[in-house]
Amino acid sequence: MAGYRVVVGIKWVPNTQAVRFDPKTGTLIRQGVPAIINPQDLHAIEMALRLRDAYGGEVIVITMAPPPAVQGLEHAIGMGADRAILVTDRSFAGADTLATSYVLARAINKVEREIGRVDLAVFGQETIDSSTAHIGAQVASWLGWPYIYYVKQASLSNGSLRVVRQLEDVIEEYEAKLPAVISVLAKALRPRHVSLLNKLRARTERPIITWTNKDLGLDTRCVGLKGSPTIVAKVTYLPEVPRLKKVHKAENPREAARWLLKNLLSDEKTRDLIARALWGEGSA
Amino acid sequence: MGDVGRKVPERFDVIVVGAGPAGCAASYMLAKSGFKVLLLERGRGPGSKELYGGRIYAQPLRDVWPDLDKKAPIHRWVTKERFSFTWGSRVVTLEYRVGRSVSFTTYLPEMAKWMADRATEAGALLVDEVVVDDIVVRDGRVVGVRSGTDFLRADVVIDAEGVNRILLEKLGLAERLDPGKVAIGAKEVLRVGEGAINDRLGLSKKEGLAWLVAGDVTEGVPGGGFIYTMKDTISVGIVLHVGRAVEAAEKGFLRTSIHGMVEKLRLHNYFKQIWGDADVVEYGGHLTIEGGLGLVPKKLYMDGFLVVGDAAGLLLNTGYTIRGVDFAVTSGKLAAETVVEAFNVGGPTEENLSVYESKLKSSFVWRELVKHRGISEIMSDPYYFTVLPALLTSLLKKLFEADYEEPTIMDAVFEAASEEDISIAKLLLKLASVVGRV
Ligand SMILES: Cc1cc2nc3c(=O)[nH]c(=O)nc-3n(C[C@H](O)[C@H](O)[C@H](O)COP(=O)(O)OP(=O)(O)OC[C@H]3O[C@@H](n4cnc5c(N)ncnc54)[C@H](O)[C@@H]3O)c2cc1C
Ligand SMILES: Cc1cc2nc3c(=O)[nH]c(=O)nc-3n(C[C@H](O)[C@H](O)[C@H](O)COP(=O)(O)OP(=O)(O)OC[C@H]3O[C@@H](n4cnc5c(N)ncnc54)[C@H](O)[C@@H]3O)c2cc1C
Repeated sequence: MAGYRVVVGIKWVPNTQAVRFDPKTGTLIRQGVPAIINPQDLHAIEMALRLRDAYGGEVIVITMAPPPAVQGLEHAIGMGADRAILVTDRSFAGADTLATSYVLARAINKVEREIGRVDLAVFGQETIDSSTAHIGAQVASWLGWPYIYYVKQASLSNGSLRVVRQLEDVIEEYEAKLPAVISVLAKALRPRHVSLLNKLRARTERPIITWTNKDLGLDTRCVGLKGSPTIVAKVTYLPEVPRLKKVHKAENPREAARWLLKNLLSDEKTRDLIARALWGEGSA
Repeated sequence: MGDVGRKVPERFDVIVVGAGPAGCAASYMLAKSGFKVLLLERGRGPGSKELYGGRIYAQPLRDVWPDLDKKAPIHRWVTKERFSFTWGSRVVTLEYRVGRSVSFTTYLPEMAKWMADRATEAGALLVDEVVVDDIVVRDGRVVGVRSGTDFLRADVVIDAEGVNRILLEKLGLAERLDPGKVAIGAKEVLRVGEGAINDRLGLSKKEGLAWLVAGDVTEGVPGGGFIYTMKDTISVGIVLHVGRAVEAAEKGFLRTSIHGMVEKLRLHNYFKQIWGDADVVEYGGHLTIEGGLGLVPKKLYMDGFLVVGDAAGLLLNTGYTIRGVDFAVTSGKLAAETVVEAFNVGGPTEENLSVYESKLKSSFVWRELVKHRGISEIMSDPYYFTVLPALLTSLLKKLFEADYEEPTIMDAVFEAASEEDISIAKLLLKLASVVGRV
């Protein structure tokens, strides 16, 4: 294959705008909540597609998830990814980031063995349902590849990668040898829509393969709940700030800001609630 | 993954645009007859963009899916019909206990998904998340659809895009939507619980209630409220005539937004006892057809092209019933039959597809629309949404809220009319013309 082979990791997440917490167990109520591709991962797919469009090669989208995530993979094919892999197994359930990244890294190794050399692995900045931003870094560690995150732009030449990375106050440029891992800055790009012919391809050619642990052959002590040393010790809820239902028609932004500050700070109860919501109990 | 590597087709026999009731029915019938059908839907999954009131008339759907009663996601069979006039805190309610239930309640997204599943089981290919931008015409023939830069060829395209007829407009077959011919609906879904619904409304298991409300719930704007019982939720909503609402808002009579009206209906003392302060689990809005024949496009067919469902302007709103889904399904079925027959007699030419129009015009759908065509005039006349409920509630007030002496009915009518400043002569004239028209 001429060009580069880029693997993109996406996560199939509950739409957190619709998700609710179970206050008793402190876990997400995932049942009945529509799932979506983690929105940031659409930017990761977009970056991979742009690299392929510029340099040739192929984009393979991969997710570790239960089978309904095929819908997300179909969306990725619809955007233009060449193929997709669903990594799924009952024994992978309950994984923390360590166990998740382990499975993903081993799946990437399998891509290398069976499909061909992987030049670049691309991830989203973080997820909307857990937001640890661990996965990219951990996959890079398992693979022993360099890792650069908050990537805004990327280009490839002669077996190396150049990226622009944006932090709060600086813009940095890096160069790294391929293969490498990057995480794409949130909202870095405008993800393309699904196209008719690509989506048709997703539904007819079905360029989606499924790997279970029969295919990967990983030690069951290293995957899923068993392979997850993280313990959720305690969950504390921040108080909800009730709406005051005040509407202000501002004359200009400056006046609006003044009005807001005055209203937020002059009321002791509101001030206290904001402080606690921002900095936790006992901070007021 | 059994079918890895199946080739991407370059053309289809039929492309159906829109996986609503009309598009799904057409796709199902055609796929069942062996046609290679592609069903295109812009939403994520069929039904994801759907919203309606809550009740569907069953028989026309059974004509397409005979196993409807057993297999479809039916919530409750409507056994109670209620109609209320509201005026302030006063409410007049009429209840009818149905002898034989002919309609059921369900969510339209659920129902549309079920219909789409039937179509794909029959062999239709469904592709979602794709917006069709154009129906492509070459030399007077429809040859396929365009989405973005992609073009896909088909012998026949069936337009089932619903009430917002962007594609039909582009083809020059429909005018821009006239606000006078459409209504806007908004609804909330309240989680009440199956047992509570049955207890409070006197329903047995699987029995449902359909309830329409007219009067000051729409603040005098033509339209009304609706209440439907689902399995364990109740849908509460408002439908407003768009043209009249805009008029009233511009004149300053109307200050409440439509979702404000839904909320007022939910908080109305009389209705609220049914759901208490149940959680609102969902809310949404959708455009609909005001009713009558006013939105039927210039042509229902072209060479290689047919229009079905709401896109074809097929919806009946009598004020006491709304029939859109069963009309949509029936038109989809008739379109499919037309296409099958057209291929048997040489192909989908304009002439062969014109049979669709005659089929439609001799169906119950068209007969209903013709029969009730006067209704749309009434349904858009603010008179009936202010005067009637005001008079009726005032009349009953005279009869039932007397401390010592009750008036005779005739006295009560005249007293109520003069109190509400209503001319009985005008009312009688109006009513006579209604009877004439309906
Ligand atoms: C004890 C424990 C039990 C858990 N049990 C469950 C459970 O049962 N079910 C569950 O869904 N979650 C569970 N989680 C959460 C789960 O471990 C993390 O959500 C997951 O490891 C990814 O971390 P993240 O969401 O913070 O991703 P981040 O590190 O924030 O994600 C960064 C990027 O990595 C990529 N990525 C993330 N996840 C995947 C994936 N699965 N496949 C491909 N690419 C990916 C995406 O590109 C993403 O943008 C559990 C966590 C703990 C601590
Ligand atoms: C508030 C309200 C209450 C109602 N109450 C009832 C009731 O109780 N009972 C009843 O029978 N009817 C009711 N109706 C009417 C009923 O919903 C419609 O008549 C019916 O849904 C019409 O079906 P359809 O298939 O023609 O169109 P729709 O159901 O509107 O389906 C059209 C589909 O096409 C898709 N689409 C549109 N354009 C494109 C495009 N360019 N590319 C791809 N896809 C596209 C849409 O996403 C949609 O899924 C109500 C309507 C409203 C708004």
